[in-house]
Amino acid sequence: MLHVELVLQGLVNGSMYAVVAIGLTLIYGLLRILHVAHAGLYTLGAYITVLTTNATGSLALGILAAMLVVGLCGMLVYRLLYEPMLERPPYVALIASIGLFICMEESYRIVFGPYGSSFDMPRLGERIALGPISIAAADAAMLVGAIVLLTGLAMLMRRTRFGVAWRATVTDPAMARSFGIDTIKVRYVNFFIASVFAAAAGSLVAVLNNLVEPTMGSVPSYKSLAIIVLGGLGQVGGTLAAALLLGVIEAYGTIYAGAYLDRDAIAFIFLIVVLMIRPQGLFARGS
Amino acid sequence: MGAYELTLVAVVSINVMLALGLNLITGFCGQVSLGHAAFFGTGAYAAALMAAAGWPLPVVLVAGGVTAAVLGLLVGFTSLRVREDFLAITTMGVGFVFVGFVRKQGWLGAEMGLTNIPDHGLGDIGFILMCLGLVAAMAAISAHIKRSWLGFGFAAVADDEATARTLGINVPLYKLAAFVIGTFLAGVAGAVYVYFTRFIIPGAFGFTVSISILSMVIVGGVGSLWGVIVAAVLLTLLPEFSRVINDYKLLLYGALIVLTMRFAPDGLAGIVTSLSRRLRRSET
Amino acid sequence: MTTPLLQVDAVTVHFGGITALERVGFSLVAGELLGLIGPNGAGKTTLLRAIIGVVAPDEGRVHLAGRDITTLSTDARARLGLALTHQIVRPFRSMSVIDNVVLAAGHAKTGSLLKAVAAVGRVAEERRAGELLALVGIADFAQANPAALPLGALKRLEVARALAIDPKVLLLDEPLAGLNSVEAERLAETLVRLNAGGITMILIEHNLAKVAEVCARLVVLDNGRKIADGATRETLADPAVVAAYIGKEAADART
Ligand SMILES: Nc1ncnc2c1ncn2[C@@H]1O[C@H](COP(=O)(O)OP(=O)(O)O)[C@@H](O)[C@H]1O
Ligand SMILES: [Mg+2]
Repeated sequence: MLHVELVLQGLVNGSMYAVVAIGLTLIYGLLRILHVAHAGLYTLGAYITVLTTNATGSLALGILAAMLVVGLCGMLVYRLLYEPMLERPPYVALIASIGLFICMEESYRIVFGPYGSSFDMPRLGERIALGPISIAAADAAMLVGAIVLLTGLAMLMRRTRFGVAWRATVTDPAMARSFGIDTIKVRYVNFFIASVFAAAAGSLVAVLNNLVEPTMGSVPSYKSLAIIVLGGLGQVGGTLAAALLLGVIEAYGTIYAGAYLDRDAIAFIFLIVVLMIRPQGLFARGS
Repeated sequence: MGAYELTLVAVVSINVMLALGLNLITGFCGQVSLGHAAFFGTGAYAAALMAAAGWPLPVVLVAGGVTAAVLGLLVGFTSLRVREDFLAITTMGVGFVFVGFVRKQGWLGAEMGLTNIPDHGLGDIGFILMCLGLVAAMAAISAHIKRSWLGFGFAAVADDEATARTLGINVPLYKLAAFVIGTFLAGVAGAVYVYFTRFIIPGAFGFTVSISILSMVIVGGVGSLWGVIVAAVLLTLLPEFSRVINDYKLLLYGALIVLTMRFAPDGLAGIVTSLSRRLRRSET
Repeated sequence: MTTPLLQVDAVTVHFGGITALERVGFSLVAGELLGLIGPNGAGKTTLLRAIIGVVAPDEGRVHLAGRDITTLSTDARARLGLALTHQIVRPFRSMSVIDNVVLAAGHAKTGSLLKAVAAVGRVAEERRAGELLALVGIADFAQANPAALPLGALKRLEVARALAIDPKVLLLDEPLAGLNSVEAERLAETLVRLNAGGITMILIEHNLAKVAEVCARLVVLDNGRKIADGATRETLADPAVVAAYIGKEAADART
């Protein structure tokens, strides 16, 4: 029974990592930018969800508003910060992104206060029984939400013109252009979609914990860097697998290795080991 | 000078030492490190244990430096495998693993840290003079390296590793040297910090500290000696001079990083150079 | 019989699915100026890179002065006396033109960490660098940043920088391309003079007339294979060589 619960808890956390990291991987795949500030957008999404829901009484409206606003903010970040840096060495954008993320966290603390906010409505407290296993309703919502989001993304990448354009641009931008794909537009749409995902992840976690805090992005931000490296950088499937796996490993690690190592450090042990063995990430394509 | 001013001098000194060490690695040799606080912390913990065991101050300072340099050598080896943004996140990972490890070690005091650190016995003024002496020594070492052929080689490695190799420069050895020297300085800074606060906890060596040090190097102008020193002094003192700035210290650091990377990639040093060039041109 | 200065045996290089070199071998006697020719994509650049170790061959050996250097790093090979000029120029952009050459001229100091940290003065190296810039004809650009230089000057900077490490064997990857005809003529003369002074060279050059004028012996690559190796005049008349060039041109003309 312990194992079932550990795995389940791991999957819940892992699915949260996945929805954050998937956006990062989309951005990395297209532009080789390690977009740490992504987690700042995730926090923003969470705040907008809570504030809008409390103001209007509609969670759906809250989530929608978060997705829209955060998506636009993502494009703005690309336009103002990253686009002028594309020709510089890749660590330039990374460091700038860390700076931006710190600014965002501090701004949330200043604007929304350090103690966090909650929904006015009660938390999803009850548990759902599935045969012998019982799962908290909030956890179930997280899992289901993540599955819905990721399935949506898979459809988007497979079935839509954007998906085709995205993949073509990643594989060979010059070729994509010669086929009439507007690669500049692909980049903006890419940032929009990735940021929408960040917002959705923020909404989900807000519901899961019934709490949003200025620092809620700290752990996902740096950890999702580790996840996208483990997942093979720009590989959507690999990122998913790495996120879920990490969630489960962490759940076990807390029990079995908690005496030696902080849970949040586990991801980085893997990161370092993997980069030493495969400097371009675990499942990376040849350069 | 009152006690407050003495404290400020000590804090500024420690930050300048840290910035000088990182400047050697990231500025001179071009190896981006986002985990400098881990070396600071390694030196601090080693120094705390040694000091508590009764070793004299000079031994403790050297031991702090050497212990950090050993970890620096190990991390330096990673820089032979991974580059640029990957090296950045590897070193960031080292920082997180360091804190995550120390938090759980009973012999290092875990979350509660180490407290039983003896007095340095130099008196307030003596301690400050030691701090200033160390800063001067480290600045002199940095200046020498920059002028020497080692610094010339570092510049080549930072610019283009592959081409540096075709000119006979042993790139891996140069990178390791940069890591060892730079992290040694961080370890000494850690030992000084231990005597200064006489109390250390894991949280004092976290990612925020690494980023603060990095912002000093970046804002000063990566690789510029005086620029980095000026930036380290300013960024440490600004928050002290005003409560408002202190409350928004991280916001300031973050914003400065963003603005420097975006608009002035060569930092203060770059701004001053281009200003003076413009002045000279308008004179003639 | 003397041991060759440089000996390349059956070197094979793959890039993913592409075979850039297939069992290419030749040897070079001290004092030679060997022309390395072949159509675009034949593998000439890759061969020079394999010799200096930027590219690791999948098979084959490289010997320098009788010593097997196949497993040595590029910097160790450079310290043993191999130098390369890049076809696509790679100046250090953070340094002035002359500092690019000064750095190389200090190879005895930068070659050892201990010497590098102890040594500060640059006077001798600056003088040498100045001479080399004058030799290749870009002394006027000494203090400029490489970003401000025309391609022809950067090509010559490559040559000056490679010469500054006092090579025994100089590998020249199309040093004359991008120069105007007067500059090319001058640099070619300089290279011939340096060769007569004792530097062994391999020269990649597209202009066959120029190659014929400068080199006594040619190695010809096509599609990663060596198709000819011998005295210049006979080699250029070799039907296989003619076919490789003409076939290529015909193919180029069709596309
Ligand atoms: N780094 C590389 N990666 C993949 N293929 C390469 C690489 N370098 C060269 N090639 C391929 O190897 C072949 C030989 O290239 P090269 O040595 O540059 O030819 P040459 O200098 O004779 O024009 C070409 O087909 C080229 O596309
Ligand atoms: Mg070529």
